[in-house]
Amino acid sequence: MLSGYDLALDYRTGGSVAHAVDNVNLAVDQGSFVGLIGPSGSGKSSLMYLLSGLKRPTRGSVTFEGRDYHGIPAGGLMRLRRQRFGFVFQQHFLINYLSALENVMVGAVRRNHEVAAYGQELLRRVGLGNKLEKRPYQLSIGERQRVAVARALVHHPAVVFADEPTASLDQATGREVINLLADYRARGEGSLVVVTHDPAMLTGADRVLQMRDGKLSAA
Amino acid sequence: MGNPLSLWHFYFRNKRKVLPVIGILALAILGVVVTDSLLASARETAYATYGSYQKLILIAPRATRDQDLANPLQDSLAQLREVQLQVDVLDGPGGLSSYYAAVTAISGRVQAQLPAMRRLQTDAANARYYAARLRGDLVPLGDLIVRVQRLQSEEKAFEQLVQQLAQNPNDPRPLLAYLQQHQTLLRTVLPDSAQLGRLQAAVTSASSDAAGLQQSLQAMSRDTANLNSAGRKVADLPIPPSPSATIDQFKVALDHLTASLGSIQSPQPGLEKLVADSAHIPGTAFVKRDAYSNLDINMLAGQAQFDLYGFDQPGMAQLLALYGDRVAVGRLPRADANEIAISEEIARSRQVWIGGKLGNNVDELDRLPDAFTVVGIIRGPTRIGLIPLDYMTEHYLFERRYQGLVVVPQTGHEQAVHDQLQALIGDSAFRLFDWSYIKAKIDSLIANLDVINRFLILLVTIVLALVVGLLNNLFFRQRMNEFGLLAAVGYSRWGLILRVVWESLGVTLASWLIGVGLGVAVLSWFNISFIVPHGLLMNVFDWNVLLLHTLPIPLMVFLFGMGTVGWQLLRLDPISIIERRD
Repeated sequence: MLSGYDLALDYRTGGSVAHAVDNVNLAVDQGSFVGLIGPSGSGKSSLMYLLSGLKRPTRGSVTFEGRDYHGIPAGGLMRLRRQRFGFVFQQHFLINYLSALENVMVGAVRRNHEVAAYGQELLRRVGLGNKLEKRPYQLSIGERQRVAVARALVHHPAVVFADEPTASLDQATGREVINLLADYRARGEGSLVVVTHDPAMLTGADRVLQMRDGKLSAA
Repeated sequence: MGNPLSLWHFYFRNKRKVLPVIGILALAILGVVVTDSLLASARETAYATYGSYQKLILIAPRATRDQDLANPLQDSLAQLREVQLQVDVLDGPGGLSSYYAAVTAISGRVQAQLPAMRRLQTDAANARYYAARLRGDLVPLGDLIVRVQRLQSEEKAFEQLVQQLAQNPNDPRPLLAYLQQHQTLLRTVLPDSAQLGRLQAAVTSASSDAAGLQQSLQAMSRDTANLNSAGRKVADLPIPPSPSATIDQFKVALDHLTASLGSIQSPQPGLEKLVADSAHIPGTAFVKRDAYSNLDINMLAGQAQFDLYGFDQPGMAQLLALYGDRVAVGRLPRADANEIAISEEIARSRQVWIGGKLGNNVDELDRLPDAFTVVGIIRGPTRIGLIPLDYMTEHYLFERRYQGLVVVPQTGHEQAVHDQLQALIGDSAFRLFDWSYIKAKIDSLIANLDVINRFLILLVTIVLALVVGLLNNLFFRQRMNEFGLLAAVGYSRWGLILRVVWESLGVTLASWLIGVGLGVAVLSWFNISFIVPHGLLMNVFDWNVLLLHTLPIPLMVFLFGMGTVGWQLLRLDPISIIERRD
């Protein structure tokens, strides 16, 4: 469903070239849970940016549902991210002046009562059913990240990309967040690509891949 | 569930940040509305004050500073000085008094020497009779002597004025002060027509009495010679020389004074012909002799002279009909009376009503001699003031340069009549005053204020654009995470820019509406409490001011704010925001 072929991403700083991603081949099957682990600076986040269309590769290609990103203009990639992908980042990036439910609805592609009901359902699932109207500054860090997870799932994305979603959380809360994402995959609603430096968070993954110096290997 | 990114959410969830910006902008717009409206009010008031020129053309003698210094009044003062010298001759040693003493002494001497000579006695009695009459003729001269003494102090003031003007030729204040004092003093110094007439009759009588007296004296001389030839020894009588020449010189000086005083009140030469010729210009509705004058009034931009029309009675009615004005209270001024009718706005400006007084006794800048009583209040679209032609032209102190004519062109013939009048005047000592001239004058007076006002608006606009632009940028930086996330999850860049455009547009639009609304409220209050009671004019709903002149502020603020924020949004890299670890 989502594949990368001979992917490379180079960063040029001054006269030198850093290979953030170096000849990576990867396939994410529909409904699968793929974990990417590796130390800081190993290129795992960069690989996720390439797969999600946030960056264009220096070499190689990415295809999603048979469409090569090379043939998709920038606007098309935006729509793809907006409609088919979901994102959870290390920080929650909630909008401070919106309530928890409204923040979830920021991720919605269409906004109607059904979607709003689904947003509320998601918040209930993540344990925030009684905090729908709370603002981010009224929630704990773990709760904020759970709202961010709900925001990533509200539009039923085909692939959810989670980049260090537990890095700023304690172990237990991190586990809850991963479980929420894994639950989405388990329901068969979409695939899951989780980037983390903590292997303990990838116990439910179908595949765990190791990134080191931009190269990918099986963990 | 609505759009969480709607403007409604943004404004009402960010009140503490949005409202101060709206407040600052609204207050600035309020300031612009008020200052601009006051300036527009000054212009409109000036236009209204001289609005009568929109339908008429005033033709008046050219007035220059040289004419002010060399006016007939000055000439009259010189003539009066000459009269004084002649009075001194008449009244001094060897003059009429000593002549009288010599003549009256003759009778006594004759009576003592020749008691029997009846004929000589009769002639001596006749001589005494004529001498007595001559002395009586001198009585009016006493009054003149008093006036001449006051004239000497007037001359000193005039010399002082000339010195002041020589030292500082561009300062008109000494000249104005002199003319005001001059008018008041001259009225007491210069004799009026009736007094001059009596004086001239006295001098004529004196001249004939002197001739009669001389005949009597010559008869006495002949009687004495006859007596002596008949053997009677009668001493020769001392016959003084005749005063006729002295009296005649005085008479000439008096004639010059009379002519000079007459020229003060007579109009500029050529005026009568101009009146007659103007009436024959095609397209002329009517032509009127005018003894125009001015009232000092307070306008928003300072003091100004409101023009008064000195018309005859039918002319006053014609002028009112021309403008669609009417006498709302009281009546029009009577002929040959120091009365005035003025528009109610002017009355309010001067804070007078029926029975009130105007004139240089009340306000030294009024060009009205002494005091005029307000007898009528005029109401209508055009502000006018009316005074009687005959009263003004028969007043010594109303100089010829304030006598002219008014030509009213028919509708559609204004330019043609103007051109014809200009051709008629040619190089003569008259000039035209019409609406285009007056309007240009007003505009040139207000031009400087306009420049200052525009500079202020520009300054306020630039400062506000910078301040609000900076606030906008600070606010935007606080929201970088929001925009970074939205860009990362697939919101289009132009969509984000459009969102900021709407947000900024809403803020500036709200500021604009609130500022303009506040401006209208403040101006309405000011209009009721100050403008109207002072006879000024203000259009509270001047859309030019409310819309066009205030628009640069929100527009510049919006463009500047959007320019900087839009530029940052275009260059926004969502990954750099996502990867921030702060």
